[in-house]
Amino acid sequence: MADQARPDDRWRHVRVLFLAFLGLWLLFTLFPLYFMIITALKTTAETNLTVPTFWPELFAFGNFAAVFAEATNFDALIDSFVIATINTLLSLFLGTLAGYAFARFPRQAGGENLAFWILSNRMFPPVAILVPMFFLFDSTPWGTDSIWSLIILYLVFNLPLATWLMMVFFRDAPRELEEAAYLDGWTPLRAFLRITLPLVLPGMISVAMLCWIFAWNEYLFANLFVGTDVRTYTIVIPTFTHGSQTLWNLQMAFSLIAMIPPVTLFILLRRYMVRGLSLGVVKG
Amino acid sequence: MSNVTLSKVNKIYGSGRTGVHAVRDLDLAVPDGEFMALLGPSGCGKTSTLRMIVGLEPITSGDIRFGDLRVNDLEPRERNVAMAFETYALYPNFTVEENLAFPLEVRGVPPAERRRRARELAELLRITEILSAKPPVLSGGQQQRVSLGRALIREPAVFILDEVMSHLDAHLKFQMLFDLKRLHQELRRTMIYVTHDQVEALALADRVAVMSNAELQQVGDRNTLYNRPANMFVADFIGEPPTTFIPVERRDSAECARLHATGAELVFDVAAERIPDLDAHGGCEFMVGIRPQNLHLCDHGATIGGKIVINEYLGERSILSFVTGDVTLQALAPPDTRMAPGEHAGFSLDPRDVMIFDAETGALVT
Ligand SMILES: Nc1ncnc2c1ncn2[C@@H]1O[C@H](COP(=O)(O)OP(=O)(O)OP(=O)(O)O)[C@@H](O)[C@H]1O
Ligand SMILES: [Mg+2]
Repeated sequence: MADQARPDDRWRHVRVLFLAFLGLWLLFTLFPLYFMIITALKTTAETNLTVPTFWPELFAFGNFAAVFAEATNFDALIDSFVIATINTLLSLFLGTLAGYAFARFPRQAGGENLAFWILSNRMFPPVAILVPMFFLFDSTPWGTDSIWSLIILYLVFNLPLATWLMMVFFRDAPRELEEAAYLDGWTPLRAFLRITLPLVLPGMISVAMLCWIFAWNEYLFANLFVGTDVRTYTIVIPTFTHGSQTLWNLQMAFSLIAMIPPVTLFILLRRYMVRGLSLGVVKG
Repeated sequence: MSNVTLSKVNKIYGSGRTGVHAVRDLDLAVPDGEFMALLGPSGCGKTSTLRMIVGLEPITSGDIRFGDLRVNDLEPRERNVAMAFETYALYPNFTVEENLAFPLEVRGVPPAERRRRARELAELLRITEILSAKPPVLSGGQQQRVSLGRALIREPAVFILDEVMSHLDAHLKFQMLFDLKRLHQELRRTMIYVTHDQVEALALADRVAVMSNAELQQVGDRNTLYNRPANMFVADFIGEPPTTFIPVERRDSAECARLHATGAELVFDVAAERIPDLDAHGGCEFMVGIRPQNLHLCDHGATIGGKIVINEYLGERSILSFVTGDVTLQALAPPDTRMAPGEHAGFSLDPRDVMIFDAETGALVT
């Protein structure tokens, strides 16, 4: 009797609930980022207060310069960039060829089982192979402390992913398109490069993003393998200390700088990312 | 040079127990300049045959020759063939015009000439208004015409067209069949046209090859297929409405050879000139095939009669279905036939129009 809420009203409740949930969720995910930014702007004294402040008393923009007082810190960003980029190019190159083989010549390429085995390489916990890998790379001429050891090591994680995803994309790209081009006089290589590759390009770009971000952010192996001749930015972050004291503001400032490349890439390529990851890449 | 000969061609997909035998011992000769239709139900191996001819699918065994040249081991691009794919296979990021002109571009034809040819063909295929569109936004029928156009734009030794009209409406199809036929008469190139629609095949082709179950059943012009089908499959597949088959037993009377239906009070006289064939074949169990076109409604001298069950009015004709014993037959009648279900109707049948098949193998006896 009194309960005569019209459907509209009821939907409004759902909407309010939904927005409340969204708000909470945003708070949950954005707060760490917010705290990171303000910490990067605080003075060292302010970061050490027992009761944390949520707005810097003084904006210490100098932090962003201070992180580069140690000149090698900038080199670490360069090293990370070089490692991630070369690794991504290799993963893409090899993964594209392998994915194509699995998609078009499954029997000759070893079949579904081999394809799945390659993907399963991505499934074990990386720490399981930490020690064996260390000894393996230690016995190479260039040793563990080299960009090449990390570039090759990251292939263990990125290549299966790249192969598998590229295989899925190539399966989506109709084979008849290439065949029509063969009939018209193109070689298989040319048809692959000019017809099929453009079709899977959005997919390739998202694969590249995933590989690059993994290699850019990797810490566990980098920490053990490199450190003297080569340093990645991930192993530089924990080094911002003063005696026994952690310099949170410098760590956060450096982390923020390290976030710039992936975020920029993401913003530039997001159009392809969404198309690539929603799998319907080929349909156009 | 461009007559196509297939001898003992086999195609087996996969191997062992899971292998699919898609084409079995196919012998087919298409003379230079002929328009040959390959007709058969879905899954009978038509596309597989075409793909072997153009070189996209390796041949399990057998030989394919263009003229005197054995092409088994030639790459598709070395065979000088053009193919329209069942799935269209249009390049999604090229415009329609670029798709049409692509085969010419590959061959280094100058841009102005490419443009002229593409426009010309678009005119013929009635797709001028979509020349600058990209394939993903086109309807099935439009894509199909672009794909046909891409196959027709250059002048190869052999044209291979795989179900290029399956998505066109009846009206458009009729016009395109006419245009294609005319184009063939101008070019005089060998064309192999695959379809599962007998109307298309009979309308277009000089000769039709009928396939079923991976095997070639018969090759012939429309009259041969219609009047002298090699077996019951062809008799059934060609012709609309379909042929009625009735099991019969040969019991000759004193003055003539007679076939008695086993399930009804039906007797077919055997035309005198057919008796030698029947005698040569021996045995007494046969199947008789009757085309609905050959049963003529009549008041006197009916040889077959029965009770009408359905009178389907189809515009320019009516189909009468009638039963006698446990046999249901169909007959074509003029559209104004007033026959209600339940009425008795009599039909005349010329003994020469009765097709007699071997009851076991289904092969035509006479
Ligand atoms: N690549 C393949 N791998 C395995 N089997 C195949 C392959 N292509 C075709 N087949 C099988 O071969 C048989 C013949 O197929 P095909 O495509 O030649 O038939 P079709 O006559 O063209 O049929 P439709 O009229 O439906 O196009 C089918 O049973 C099909 O399942
Ligand atoms: Mg087919």
